[in-house]
Amino acid sequence: MTAPAHADTTDKRNDFFGNFGGRYVGETLRPALDNLDREFRTAIADPAFQAELARVQKTWVGRPTPLLFAENATRALGGARIYIKMEGLAHTGAHKINNAIGQALLAKRMGKTHIIAETGAGQHGLASAAACAKLGLDCRVYMGDLDVRRQRPNVFAMEMMGTRVIPVHSGTMTLKDAINAALRDWSATYPDTHYLIGSALGPSPFPEIARIFQSIVGRETVAQMAEAGEEIAAMIACVGGGSNSIGFFEPFLDKPAPRLIGVEAGGRGPGPGDNAVRMTGGVSRPGIAHGYKSRFLMDDDGQVLPTHSISAGLDYPGIGPQLAALGECGRIEFTAASDEETLEALKFFARQEGVMFALESAHAGAAAMRVAPTLRKDQAIVVNMSGRGDKDLFITAKALDRDRWIDYLKNEIAT
Amino acid sequence: MTTTPTKLMAHMIAGFPNVDTARKIARGLVRGGAHYLEVQFPFSDPSSDGPLIEKASQAALDNGFRVADGFAFMKELSRDYDVPLFIMTYGSLVFARGAGAFCDQAKDAGVTGLIIPDLPPDYSEGLFDEGKKRGLAIVPVISPGISDARLDILRALQPEYIYTALRLGITGSATHLDDATIAYLEKVKALGAKIIAGFGVRSAEMMHLLAGHADAAAVGSYFLEVYDKAEGDVESALSEAAKNLLA
Repeated sequence: MTAPAHADTTDKRNDFFGNFGGRYVGETLRPALDNLDREFRTAIADPAFQAELARVQKTWVGRPTPLLFAENATRALGGARIYIKMEGLAHTGAHKINNAIGQALLAKRMGKTHIIAETGAGQHGLASAAACAKLGLDCRVYMGDLDVRRQRPNVFAMEMMGTRVIPVHSGTMTLKDAINAALRDWSATYPDTHYLIGSALGPSPFPEIARIFQSIVGRETVAQMAEAGEEIAAMIACVGGGSNSIGFFEPFLDKPAPRLIGVEAGGRGPGPGDNAVRMTGGVSRPGIAHGYKSRFLMDDDGQVLPTHSISAGLDYPGIGPQLAALGECGRIEFTAASDEETLEALKFFARQEGVMFALESAHAGAAAMRVAPTLRKDQAIVVNMSGRGDKDLFITAKALDRDRWIDYLKNEIAT
Repeated sequence: MTTTPTKLMAHMIAGFPNVDTARKIARGLVRGGAHYLEVQFPFSDPSSDGPLIEKASQAALDNGFRVADGFAFMKELSRDYDVPLFIMTYGSLVFARGAGAFCDQAKDAGVTGLIIPDLPPDYSEGLFDEGKKRGLAIVPVISPGISDARLDILRALQPEYIYTALRLGITGSATHLDDATIAYLEKVKALGAKIIAGFGVRSAEMMHLLAGHADAAAVGSYFLEVYDKAEGDVESALSEAAKNLLA
């Protein structure tokens, strides 16, 4: 299934993926979205824009990112051949940069001089900060106060790049509140400002914009697997808001094969507030928030519920509308990995392949470890390492090597 | 002043800071002369509201506010006062119950209309139809950047009320009426609906400025500030504040 095409007039409701999507925003934001919709379509149809994007992807982002045959991991698990798309080797450490630089180029083309972004863990904030520094755009990033306090390294890096990080003190003081603050800012500033949303969610056309700018990951993977002489049996990606998975799966969304497996954050367990499982658990329901209709962790009144995941990037109550639709129609299989399984996967791939996944991507690694042994040795699967794990040292070291890490931190404070 | 001020739509939040004080706030606003009451049902993610209303909404939710409590509160208000009552909230709360059921419960509670900014006519989940069936006013929320094409969509709906922002952006900051705003209000008025103008009204001067341009002014953040500063008798503080606006 491909995205339904938008008509020129966005008054027609053709921005749905199955039951989900849409533009559930006040009229105040409507001119901004209508304009963005038109400008985006013109830009991606323009060969000059595509050429500039390709040039920056190559020389600055570091594309193409490698595809690794995980030979040791394959042998250890004894099933399908496992390949890892090393997307975390992209500039700033994750796939987020693909969307950030694409939208920043678009904003510049639209004559915008300012960028707003929201961030949870800080990866999208960092990618936006870098893209804005590179293109000479003024950037401000909304970040929940709780996240500001627990992600100091990323805040520091964003500020180094000239971005203003604005702590958000409302609600749960996390990613969802940063999105609300960014929408609020944008409704007053859109004439000179672009809202660079970080995932495949929000009011249309944002889910489609993120998918298209992230589809480079899937297209490269197809070419690299063909070069390796492999037929893909399954693609596996983690799903928070959904930008890495939708981009990774993109070449196959309208085809019956291969299997597409999305992995959500199973967190501490199945109870409300303990995970971020929107597609398989008992706590989620269809709902409307942050400008779009999708499946959300919500109560029966429609109030958004708290979430938990060891990985900040998956710790979000909604899911991109196209992913929700593809899950409901069965094209994408959804599963979850717990915090514990995720840490095991992190250790496994570090030990076997010398590759440290970001905690988000390690959820996909955990699912790959479950899936590979169920397949034949002549089959191949690809897992997207959407981010690398350096950014998580303060979480993973604390979880896996607590005493020595705390000693280290104490020593750092003492010096 | 020589002119008559425009009518007052006083905004308050259901369950904030608690049900008992919310009752006093409502009584104060009506005593002070409010012509309409706009009662906001708290939502966890109110992206069209300023920080003050967001914080108050969260406080009400932390106190255990449920939508059913909101309807019970509306029922009380409609029993106790003659002013028309409006519910303002977000699409999530309407969608969770279904537009039809939400309208039924609003109608049953004696509500005159619903103000749901993130359910515009083309993404209304059937709200405009369901409202029409029950004689419940569904109030479109618009702002000065609106295109003529979108105004045409509204015209076709023939709404009884239209709620409009007076400046770009969200509730709670200062505003003033310039020629462009007045021209805009005239354009909206031509749609034939009663105009409720809001977002930033906080003085009797503004109420007078709006006279003749808007049928009512919606005042929200200002009353929250008054409540925050009130020492002791909340009801009297809000009553005084409403009276002063209508002076």
